[in-house]
Amino acid sequence: MPADAGTLEFCDVHKSFGAVRALQGVSFNVSAGEAHAVVGENGAGKSTLLKILAGIARPDRGEVRLDGAPFTHASPRDALAGGIGMVFQERLAFPNLTVTGNIFAGREMTFPGGRLDVRGMRERTQALLHELRVSIDPDLPMEHASAAVAQLVQVARALAFECRVLVLDEPTTSLTDAEVDHLFRILVDLKQRGVTLLFVSHRLPEVFRLCDRITVLRDGRFAGTFDRATTTSDAIVRAMVGREPPARIERPLPPESVAPVLSAQSLSRPPFFKNVSCDVRPGEIVGIFGLVGSGRTELLETLFGLAAPTGGRILVDGREVRFRSARDASGAGLALVPEDRQRLGLHFNLSIRHNIALARAARAGLGAIDRAGETRMAQSLATSLAIRAPHLSAAPDALSGGNQQKVVLAKGLGTAPRILLLDEPTKGVDVGAKFDIHNLIRERAAAGMACLVVSSDLPEILALVDRVLVMREGEVRGMLRAGDATEERIMQLATHEVVVPA
Amino acid sequence: MRSIWRAREFSTVVILLVEIAFFGWYLWPEAGRSHPFLNLGNFLLIFKYSSIYGIAAIGAAVVIISGGIDLAPGAIIALTTVITGYLFVVAGWPLWAGASVALAAGAFSGFVSAQLIVRARLPPFIATLGLMGILRGAAFIVTEARFYDLSAKLPRDWHIAGVSIDWLGPIVMVLLAGVFQRLMTGYQWGRSVCAVGGNETAALFSGIPVNRIKTSAYVLSGALAATSGVVLAVVQGQGKADLASGYELDIIASAVVGGASLVGGRGSVAGAVLGALIFGVLRNALPQIPGATFYDRLIVGVVVIGIVVMDQVLTRRSHAS
Repeated sequence: MPADAGTLEFCDVHKSFGAVRALQGVSFNVSAGEAHAVVGENGAGKSTLLKILAGIARPDRGEVRLDGAPFTHASPRDALAGGIGMVFQERLAFPNLTVTGNIFAGREMTFPGGRLDVRGMRERTQALLHELRVSIDPDLPMEHASAAVAQLVQVARALAFECRVLVLDEPTTSLTDAEVDHLFRILVDLKQRGVTLLFVSHRLPEVFRLCDRITVLRDGRFAGTFDRATTTSDAIVRAMVGREPPARIERPLPPESVAPVLSAQSLSRPPFFKNVSCDVRPGEIVGIFGLVGSGRTELLETLFGLAAPTGGRILVDGREVRFRSARDASGAGLALVPEDRQRLGLHFNLSIRHNIALARAARAGLGAIDRAGETRMAQSLATSLAIRAPHLSAAPDALSGGNQQKVVLAKGLGTAPRILLLDEPTKGVDVGAKFDIHNLIRERAAAGMACLVVSSDLPEILALVDRVLVMREGEVRGMLRAGDATEERIMQLATHEVVVPA
Repeated sequence: MRSIWRAREFSTVVILLVEIAFFGWYLWPEAGRSHPFLNLGNFLLIFKYSSIYGIAAIGAAVVIISGGIDLAPGAIIALTTVITGYLFVVAGWPLWAGASVALAAGAFSGFVSAQLIVRARLPPFIATLGLMGILRGAAFIVTEARFYDLSAKLPRDWHIAGVSIDWLGPIVMVLLAGVFQRLMTGYQWGRSVCAVGGNETAALFSGIPVNRIKTSAYVLSGALAATSGVVLAVVQGQGKADLASGYELDIIASAVVGGASLVGGRGSVAGAVLGALIFGVLRNALPQIPGATFYDRLIVGVVVIGIVVMDQVLTRRSHAS
């Protein structure tokens, strides 16, 4: 692997897509062999920058230089050949091909005559995976691979083409902490071998852990490059948001004497979870923490009537309920904000207004739609959630991730629930929207709503909840009060055999 | 991946054998009479008629694996019988020349579909539905309710190198299936078709020439449908605008029964040919069952759903384990 090169210079780069000015005169340098972060809210221009590097888009004005030479790659193929390797989020894999097939897709090794050198590619894959210190079967179909494996396969792919610059786009979104550690060890290794890393992420702690310098983009403009050693995470957030973060809404804790509005008693649904008990009182925010695969999402789905439990009881207002559908649960005053907003939360063929009104309309049955009422409701929710949309009759695909998430939240709130179930409410959402969503949850809780929040984001759990339930392998490992919960104690419960009485 | 595909084709072979065994048992004749289904002449008949779908189904499978759909093959088959017939019978061209023009016309039709999909960004269903109407319409305009009788000009009981012309379709089908099975599993082109069908965005980001790959799939489908048309014209001795009506769905069904997934990325050329044979056996055997004449379309429909459901159940089970 060549270790002598890999500088990137962005010189006054402009790029517009139609009327949207995605980049307006961005200039900064990335030195050879450095780990450089690019951060910014959704819509700040990060993905456009990535598209230019990947050879999918070309700047309208200005240029990108790779090792001093203008970078005029017309296609992704040229970008790869030019030494730029891209690691995208895991959705950019081929589910129907094997690990080997994914690594060599588009640049297969062939014999003279064009026949695929299946054995050669397999051996090269094995060598690359060995280099990355992972044991994955090269013949594993990608659809059976975990998100972490999918991510590492993309790193291996970049290595297979001997890249000098490795660009990583939100590579840790669906990884567990242990998997992130592994990925970072590999990245540090690559850096030491002289590969330049360009790291795009929402997660500032990770950025500070890995990167030497941090460039902030805001609204398509360059907002500064910061040295890790001399900056703080608050300074970065201010540069990203362009304003002071909103003040945290404080709220009183509900008194202990209030009866729980939602209770699970020894709820089981093997193989996902078993014997889970918890209470949520009106006005309380209860967190559920656990690593990916600990059964949290399935628990919420069961509470919401999407799947029947095999054992145990669910109580609403102290009375046992047996939901046979989400409709039943919604009727009893529950609402679920699912994790995967693209797949489960939004209808991209409908307008933002109709998306927001959908859950309520579904509950209203088959009667005529009260269009004026629908518009009023959507408008008032959009205002109270500060959804930044050009117009509510637009489709939600034009929105940033944070605003899409707010639409899904608004949809849940549209049924006026008493119990709000939230699954990773700020996953992949930018900092500003995250503040807004946290404040919204606090506000609703202060007004008496019971909130159950699943999250893998420890700082979020600590900042938001009154109590946290820690799950591991489908079982409750402990219940901590906000005052007693620290990152260490939660992680210990989530990963080790220590049981704290609830 | 290859081992999974092999297993999928294996199950299609098993279905075909079970089907043959069933009809062999059901149609077993009274002592002393010859078997109406299990005899060499009947197998040739099945092969001969299946090859018309089978050849086109190879192209359909490639299109489906690339994530698209092609509704034009039935119309292309009809138009190419007409072109071959017109040039051979009316214009007096040699047969090979007429057939070549017909093949080129089929490939060009596929190219037009591809341009509509790749450049005008039409959904494949709409683009090829339109082409289907245009091509069938063109065939009717040319023939004006006539048909071209090739059989009068072709040699009676025609043999080439000692092989009856009846074998033309089966031989072409098996050869093409072998070639394209190999290209799909062992060559970069086939791998790229799978990649495009599996995740088009990822394919673009991987530097795969997505538009060129898609175009190649539709051109191939058009050319193979035209091959079916030429075989049909020669074997049946006719060039006629209303031939092969409704074949597009039988062709797609053959590919699907052979393991092609309509969401793209999965399927097999050999499977598609086996799928065509499964239908060929049904069409041949059902009319021989007394009283079943009116049931055959219904049974074919049930079989399509049954095979695909069974396949999904088996796939799910193998994923779970």
